[in-house]
Amino acid sequence: MFLIALNRTLLFALQSFWRNIWLSLATVFVVFLAFVSVNFLLAVNYVSDSAINLVKERIDVSVYLKPEVRESKIAEIKTRLESMPQVREVVYRSAQENLDSFKQKHEGDANIQETLKELDSNPMGGTLVIRAKTLTEYPEILKALDDPTYSDLIEEKNFDDNRLVIDRINAIADNIKKVVLAVSLIFIIIAVLIVFNTVRIAIFTHQNEIAIMKLVGAGNWFIRSPFILESILCGVFGCFAAFVFLYPLLSLIQPYISDFFNGADFNIVGYFTDNFLVIFGTELVAIIIINIISSSIAIGKYLNV
Amino acid sequence: MKEVSINIEPGEFVSIVGQSGSGKTTVVRLLISEIRPDSGKIVIGGWDITDIKKHCVPLLRRQIGVVFQDFKLLPKKTVFENVAFALQVSGATRGRIESVVPQVLNIVDLSNKSNRYPQELSGGERQRVAIARSLIHRPKVLLADEPTGNLDALNTKDIIDLLLKINEFGTTVVMVTHNKEIVNSLKRRVITLEDGRVTQDHKVGKYII
Repeated sequence: MFLIALNRTLLFALQSFWRNIWLSLATVFVVFLAFVSVNFLLAVNYVSDSAINLVKERIDVSVYLKPEVRESKIAEIKTRLESMPQVREVVYRSAQENLDSFKQKHEGDANIQETLKELDSNPMGGTLVIRAKTLTEYPEILKALDDPTYSDLIEEKNFDDNRLVIDRINAIADNIKKVVLAVSLIFIIIAVLIVFNTVRIAIFTHQNEIAIMKLVGAGNWFIRSPFILESILCGVFGCFAAFVFLYPLLSLIQPYISDFFNGADFNIVGYFTDNFLVIFGTELVAIIIINIISSSIAIGKYLNV
Repeated sequence: MKEVSINIEPGEFVSIVGQSGSGKTTVVRLLISEIRPDSGKIVIGGWDITDIKKHCVPLLRRQIGVVFQDFKLLPKKTVFENVAFALQVSGATRGRIESVVPQVLNIVDLSNKSNRYPQELSGGERQRVAIARSLIHRPKVLLADEPTGNLDALNTKDIIDLLLKINEFGTTVVMVTHNKEIVNSLKRRVITLEDGRVTQDHKVGKYII
């Protein structure tokens, strides 16, 4: 009996989908548009996140050491910094490298070149360039260098100069995230409402059929289940169609986005591929739930015959 | 409806007549439990359906054949599927459907149009599909609410002949109509309603309003 009912539900749902093909396609199209919008927003979210990270990655803090500090002591400080969980990378630039770089930078300035020639020894010390895992961790890293064992060896730290820039970038990044989140939420709510009402309108066009089914003795679940299954089918097809459409579209626009960010390596397609199961799975489950709820509510209205 | 007391015996062919708004269709709607009476009692074949529970309504409707003026066919189902649907709702197997539906379509002379959709049929043919659907459960009672209301004279005669044939096989037929000629030609029991009350009830009656 259960198998007969299941078989009929499936048959009626597919039959209704096919025989009301324009209505079905219209519903699928609305779901498709909703998913394209939501996924496009995900792509924008990914690009903005990547752009912010790109800026953050370019920020570092230089610790200028006194010229007399020995290499062994520098290695010790470097090891100490690298052992900190907040530190992503520490790069050491030797005194000679700093001098070469300084000379190169001021190649055209005769005065500076002359002054440097007159000096017996290299006036510059080595530099440790520190990159933290997140911007907020710099103060903690630099606090470790305030330890008297190290602080006497340090000529200068440029963090104070960068603090304002870092704070501003952090604030901008936070604001961008908030805006993207708010826009995403608004968009998702709009998409859900549109899908919800499309399914309700689709069911509304079947209200006479539902009444007839009731009059010939059909039980509520016998009527309800094919319509619910049909709306699930529309949702699933719309979701699939959106992904089939999005992949080539994103591949197409990816080079332009990279160009826009001066060749930065933004792999949007890779992002969707890496998170395919999470994104696709969540969207599929969401559309199934939305369609079950919307079609159940819509049919319920017409079952009191 | 007020102070209405009607008793219909098994196998009778009864016409319920009256002007628009007299309560004819209300009788049908009460009998299929589409609406509930405020007071009184409705019994069909010994089953008191006055306060029938919601989940029992489909069971009641599977035991009473109903034919409507506007046919009430499912537009996206073929003739065969429309008739089969009434069996499918009760969980009939495919084997039973494939054996019973052609028999009933044969009775209403629509075997050759079983794959057509309702919109591809004439009014008379649509009503015959509706009658076939109402007969599929071999009901003891057939309710016909203005079954010829949308039909021309020729098709009207065909439908009435079909209802008479069904009655001859032992099914009780209750027909709501305002077609004077049909009622007078039948020479069967006629119940006349006016303002929701029974004003006349004759064993061999005529349409008198």
